[in-house]
Amino acid sequence: MNRYRVPLAIIAFAVAVGLAAAWVANDYYLRIAFMMCVYYLCAAGMNVLVGYAGQKSLGQAGLFAAGAYTVALLTTRADLSGWTAFAAAPIVAGLCGIVIAIPSLRVSGPYLAMVTLAFGVVVEKLVSEWTDVFGGAQGIYGIKPLTIAGEPFSSVQWVWFGLVLSVITQLLLRNLLRGRFGRALRSLQADEIASSSVGVRVYRAKVMAFVIAAVTCGIAGAMVAQQNQYINSDFIGFHLSIFILLLVLLGGSGSQYGPVIGAVVLTLVDALLARWPSVQHFVYGALLLFALYLMPNGIAGVFRSLLSRRVAPLPAPRPATQSSIGGQALVKGRAEEILLDVTQLCKSFGGVRPAQDVSFALKRGHIHALIGPNGAGKSTMINMLSGVLDPDKGNITFVGTQVGGQPSHVICQLGMGRTFQNLRLFSELTVLENVLLGRHCRMKNGFWASLFALPSARHQEADAKSRALNILEFVGLLPHANTAAGSLPYGLQRRAELARAMATEPQLLLLDEPAAGLNPQETAELGKLLKKIGELGITVLMVEHHMDLVM
Amino acid sequence: MLVALLQALISGLAVGGAYALVALGFSITFTTTKTLNFSHGDFVAIGAFIGVSALLLLSGNPINATSFSGISVGASAQVVAVVAALIVMGLLGVILYVLAVRPFAGKAGMSWVMSTIGFGIILQSIGLAIWGPAPVVVPSPVGDDVVRFFGVGVRPQELLMLAVAIVVMVLFDWVMNRTMIGKAMRAVAHSRQVASLMGINVNAVMIGAFFLSSALAGLSGYLMAPIASASLYLGLGIALKGFSGAIIGGLSNPRGCVFGGFALGILESLVNLWQAQWREIVVFVLVILVLTIRPQGLFGQRLVVKV
Repeated sequence: MNRYRVPLAIIAFAVAVGLAAAWVANDYYLRIAFMMCVYYLCAAGMNVLVGYAGQKSLGQAGLFAAGAYTVALLTTRADLSGWTAFAAAPIVAGLCGIVIAIPSLRVSGPYLAMVTLAFGVVVEKLVSEWTDVFGGAQGIYGIKPLTIAGEPFSSVQWVWFGLVLSVITQLLLRNLLRGRFGRALRSLQADEIASSSVGVRVYRAKVMAFVIAAVTCGIAGAMVAQQNQYINSDFIGFHLSIFILLLVLLGGSGSQYGPVIGAVVLTLVDALLARWPSVQHFVYGALLLFALYLMPNGIAGVFRSLLSRRVAPLPAPRPATQSSIGGQALVKGRAEEILLDVTQLCKSFGGVRPAQDVSFALKRGHIHALIGPNGAGKSTMINMLSGVLDPDKGNITFVGTQVGGQPSHVICQLGMGRTFQNLRLFSELTVLENVLLGRHCRMKNGFWASLFALPSARHQEADAKSRALNILEFVGLLPHANTAAGSLPYGLQRRAELARAMATEPQLLLLDEPAAGLNPQETAELGKLLKKIGELGITVLMVEHHMDLVM
Repeated sequence: MLVALLQALISGLAVGGAYALVALGFSITFTTTKTLNFSHGDFVAIGAFIGVSALLLLSGNPINATSFSGISVGASAQVVAVVAALIVMGLLGVILYVLAVRPFAGKAGMSWVMSTIGFGIILQSIGLAIWGPAPVVVPSPVGDDVVRFFGVGVRPQELLMLAVAIVVMVLFDWVMNRTMIGKAMRAVAHSRQVASLMGINVNAVMIGAFFLSSALAGLSGYLMAPIASASLYLGLGIALKGFSGAIIGGLSNPRGCVFGGFALGILESLVNLWQAQWREIVVFVLVILVLTIRPQGLFGQRLVVKV
């Protein structure tokens, strides 16, 4: 079976390493193999956060510490068994992950990097200065190790245990990242506003990424503490946070095998240079400074560009139907009803008031246009309707629900799709992936179903792909399905964005200047396409200056 | 009690001066290039050691001596030391810009965070190779005798720190708002392309910004050394608190940054009166609170993202 080929290869690789470890039986080499597994776990979670969600965290050592000190305190102070404490470590670390995710909801970029850095420093200070509890630089001795049949793990058993955890992590994250959630994370890295407009719950996705990174780091910390049966504050300084980040960046962030490569290479470098700590330090600095310059996508990126990439052939889609391309069946009695009702809507930016007491209503099944001179507040209106801006006053009722001030993803879920005046495609993703993201809010597979690749998740994914291809065919972009959206010519990018909005199954489609930058021929084609969309039963509201298109 | 409070206030203001200088450094590079030097802390530490080395050399000692006991330092030596710290650190800032910032500035992905951290790690390991990890107690240019008034003991260096910080801020404020250079910097901050079309040498302005920002790091390192003794591990804490001050005041507003730096210094030293180990935690909780309530800082301008 094709589906099991890669997972089987991963397991076979791990078994081979495990057998080699049993055969070597040299404590020094076993220790290196064990640390590779530990660092792999850190890197795998960090890759989700940095490579997929695009959130730079400089405080992973704090989460590593959360796991390590959880097992240390639970086994020494509370006298719990090694296994119980080990199970508690990812939970505590995950909770800490939520704590550092909170600022990420408000700030981004350098601010977030500095906040996570501060988190790492706070944890370091806490464990090194609150000596009554954490033992400071003296550390905590006598941590209970993991046991099998009452006996502590031997060195080989630790390596095996590390390998088992690494394989499980690799397989689960592979399931998660190849589908709905991986796409959602990559979309929010590219453009949070567009991501939210197609129904991705941006905040929740960010918290999820932080928690995944925290849990794997916590497990890694617990393993190190229990294997050494000792932990002190020296281990979890700023340098560890940087090391974990370097694992991902050098290996290749956003790539499936980047963390493995990073963990193997850097653990070896670490072991080779261990005798000269100052040289080691210098090498890490140089790697950080130059690696990104020479290899922006890490070692995995270099390999990828050397090996020509095999593009999976597109599956044959099921024949298109009206509903599979987002059409709305015009049920009797629903036609001609009021779809959207706006009353007394106001918005001001300081002294500029783009909207004052605006009221209108849209009937289902028509194509409407909003016209006016530049600066009249047309885009502001679209942004308020779709939840990008909060109105100051007034009501917006959509399909009978009050949506004014609601977040974009809720409004998208209710059935309002939109395009943007200045294209907001996820340019690194392919056209097909962009349209699949439009399906995000209509897919029903949850986190756990995706993580374990349950049949429901696979079914949803296949269904979404089929519908996305139907839509691409409808707008005439099928030949470009596997092209990166950013490399399409401008006119086709406009269509791709339209296709993405249609994939959300909108009842109302908001188009912000769909013909901006198009030549007369392209504009005419767009006019035909819009007519076809209207025939599908989708109500359209567009902002436009091209009066020939409007009329 | 009152004496202790006053004491804390004054030492808070002095340390706050160092934070304010660092915060100003962050603000300068952020407004002109939209990047931050994440190795600012290492620049502060190296700046302190450049000053120390200049003092040692001028008094005829090896630069890696770890103590000033028995060495007398003249006023002229101090002047040379501060100029050396300013120029060497400024030039290092230019190297930082060329190697670590220019390849990545203005591109997505914030790779400059990593590359500037990498640069800092290299600086620190070179510094450790030259000066070693031991902290060095440095004599103050204005004497080390504690001055007492109203029962409050003040070290002259603390007053010097405060005075220099205030002078630098006022000077900077005047340059930014009243001179052509300041206007050019603000233009570049606003839009690189438009500034370039208006005939402003954008590259020179950016190099200048990094020179200035790093020179300020050197200055705060030089001034902090007699207060906290010079150590290569001194920087990270100061830089983090400087950045926190900048966040609290608003990164885009230099006056706000200065205010934030001073406020943080005072807060920290008041918390210190109560429970020393909670210092960092209180500071960072405050930062997170400010970011949650006003992400643009207390005096920063809110950026409206146009959709």
